[in-house]
Amino acid sequence: MITFGCIREEDITLEQRMHQLNNQLMCPVCDAQTIDGSNAQISKDMRAKVQELLDEGKSNSEIKDYFVLRYGEDILAAPKGIGFNLLAWIMPVFIFLAGISIAFLALKNMRRANTKAALTVTYKQHDLSEYLKQVDTDLGIYEDKISQDHNPNNQSADERKS
Amino acid sequence: MAELGTMALLIGLGVNAYSLLGSIIGVKIGLPELIVSSRRALYMSILSASVASTALIAAFVQNEFAIKYVADHSNTIMDRAYVWVAFYSGNEGSLLYIVLILSIISSISVRFAPKQLARSIPWTIAILAGVQLFYFFVLSFFANPFELLETVPAEGRGINPLLTHPGMFSHPPLLMGGLIAITIPFAFSSGALLAGNYGDDWVNVARISAILGWGVLGTGMLLGAWWAYTILGWGGYWAWDPIENVALMPWLVMTAFAHSIMVQKRRGMFRMWNVALLNIAFVLAQLGMFINRGGPVVSVHSFAASTLGMIFLGFLMFSLIFAFTLFLWRMPRLKSDRAMESFLSREASFLVNNFLFLAVMGITLWGVLFPLFSDLARDVSVSVSAPYFDRANGPVLLGIVVMMGVGPLLPWRKASSRSLRQWFIWPTAVGILTILVLLSLGVKRPVAIFSFGVIAFVAFAILEEWARGTLARHRNGENWAKAWWKLVNGNRPRHGGYIVHISILMLGLGIIGTNFYQQRTDGALEIGQSLVLDNYRIEYVDIGDSSRPDRIAKWAELSVYNIDVNSYATEKSTAKAQGSTGFTLDDSTLRPGDRLISQINPWHGFYLDFNMASVRSGIRSTIIEDLYVIPRDFLPDGRVSLAVSINPLAWWLWAAGPIFILGTMVALWPQAADRPDTQMKTRITRESEI
Repeated sequence: MITFGCIREEDITLEQRMHQLNNQLMCPVCDAQTIDGSNAQISKDMRAKVQELLDEGKSNSEIKDYFVLRYGEDILAAPKGIGFNLLAWIMPVFIFLAGISIAFLALKNMRRANTKAALTVTYKQHDLSEYLKQVDTDLGIYEDKISQDHNPNNQSADERKS
Repeated sequence: MAELGTMALLIGLGVNAYSLLGSIIGVKIGLPELIVSSRRALYMSILSASVASTALIAAFVQNEFAIKYVADHSNTIMDRAYVWVAFYSGNEGSLLYIVLILSIISSISVRFAPKQLARSIPWTIAILAGVQLFYFFVLSFFANPFELLETVPAEGRGINPLLTHPGMFSHPPLLMGGLIAITIPFAFSSGALLAGNYGDDWVNVARISAILGWGVLGTGMLLGAWWAYTILGWGGYWAWDPIENVALMPWLVMTAFAHSIMVQKRRGMFRMWNVALLNIAFVLAQLGMFINRGGPVVSVHSFAASTLGMIFLGFLMFSLIFAFTLFLWRMPRLKSDRAMESFLSREASFLVNNFLFLAVMGITLWGVLFPLFSDLARDVSVSVSAPYFDRANGPVLLGIVVMMGVGPLLPWRKASSRSLRQWFIWPTAVGILTILVLLSLGVKRPVAIFSFGVIAFVAFAILEEWARGTLARHRNGENWAKAWWKLVNGNRPRHGGYIVHISILMLGLGIIGTNFYQQRTDGALEIGQSLVLDNYRIEYVDIGDSSRPDRIAKWAELSVYNIDVNSYATEKSTAKAQGSTGFTLDDSTLRPGDRLISQINPWHGFYLDFNMASVRSGIRSTIIEDLYVIPRDFLPDGRVSLAVSINPLAWWLWAAGPIFILGTMVALWPQAADRPDTQMKTRITRESEI
């Protein structure tokens, strides 16, 4: 059976898990670097500790808890999705859903002819340019035969045939 | 030099204040002479910014350590070429650089703005002068690069060692230039609103200036990624660091704008939306300036940190209030010419793409600000770094790639079911086929496989359209290359966009390859020992020394062999049993099937004055995968500690760069077909004025 999702912990080598963990722990004395990317002494010590705990057979979350207990929550490169920090993870979903709903509502709104006002306010260059392009097309100057059915200024190929 | 520079800054302050007030008063009391002189005052700021910049560079060249900025950022043993880098390597100098660029591009854009904008140009000038005024003000009173030291040191501190690389000649200036360039389209759209010019006259100039800034910013980010990866040995190319994020956010919004402005240009729709996008991008650019200069979040890019935070926060708030008050005031007049005809249309797909871009921006912003919220709300520090952004943004980014395939397949206005079938069937088939082939080859990682399918779908959709168009022209007797080139020339914004899309797909390949299939191992080697990872054997042959008075630097000579994995089967299974990915060999004898493919020399330097290490990674790159070696440390016992990885498809990340630039240039190249149209418009406008 195909298992979708991430690779399970036991399928990968200890060393791979070590690199994953090193990328999920921040170096406490550096600016915004994980211990994997940092050469500070404390990062070296922490990397050694990760290795040691892995050799002892600890799970990823046990190892992370070990460091959180000693260094505080900001040792984790991404906050855990519990308590207040759940907010960090819920908000993206909310932003995405809000974005999509606004886009949908805007589309619905734009489908209604909500456009009269503009016609009286501005001088309509668009209609003129369309007209000019049509003239050009009729005269054979304006070549856009290839992407005809993508061109808004001509009638679509389908319409033309019918 | 210090007096000259300070004087030039004060003159810049004066001319911009004059230009700002003169434009507004000139319009209000109807004094054309004042408006013209305000415009000339804006041009004058080029002069004062250039004089100040030249003075600073001259001070560097002459080692004038009496000037604090020069003493802090250079010394006499520094390579002279890096004077240019030293110029913007600190806070004060980078602000001066920013105002230099802004004054040049704002004058050019005002000078060459189309005639129809005559009524709104004074307002555009006022906004540009206002922004420049702010920077000259900060430079004159809070971050003066010409501040003098009381006692003149004999030697300067030297340039930040991380910046002494040719990459630094282009990455920071492009990034800062791209960010500040967002001011130009913003000034044109807001200027039009202030003048009560609700038409689309500002669209072309805003589109061109926006895409120019966008292209420059994108190139700057790519160069930064390339530099971090190939040179700095940071191991990766994008760390979702706060400073990277604040450059990415306005870029995302500008990407949305580059799409939706086409809808306004061609269909007279999305007027409100386009103005809103420019407002958001401009405010985000100011957020970037704030976070870069003494902002509240930590970053690996803290080169220019300072105490200017509050001033920039103030300007950020002011920009936000100004832009959106103006927008809300004029919003009722920004109606579309036309209604949306169908959900299945190019317009609708652009709107969806826009919201996806804004979603990535919003999520990134949330991630950048969340540590602050956590601090304020419950006094607990948290970190929000790469693992968060990868997971939160990954799915939306994939959605954007899907839309990249869907959008161009939909025609403007309304798609008929027949054209849908006609255009979607082959790309979809190719996408599914790609997934099936990868599955049957036993490739792991379902998410990555699905993403490859999406990339194949989008790529084929573009190629199919090019193939059909080229074929049609070829049948008319043009040769293939000429037919394709003419096709592209027929609608440059569209086909330039496709070229950019291809570069994004190449980036996608690299991102998926390196994120999902990277192999890593670490090891410390004595001379003669080798490290084996997958089908590579890396032998530590020799050590070299390139220390100087200011640094301890060593490099390792490594031979890279391609190996026959069967010759190493015993070691491999032992290593696997111990849980390691790679393993070390003690002897340097070659085994059957070993083939020398490359020599690499990773380098490690430690700068005593800065207490800072700098690394050059060793890379053997092919289009399939990179072998990537970072020298972590040269240990006291003579061993070298290496971090070795295989980064599949990393080559594609960097190959995407030139294609991105090419596509941007094609999209921007003036469209010949526009010209008769514009001339006609101008003539009619003139006639109507008479």
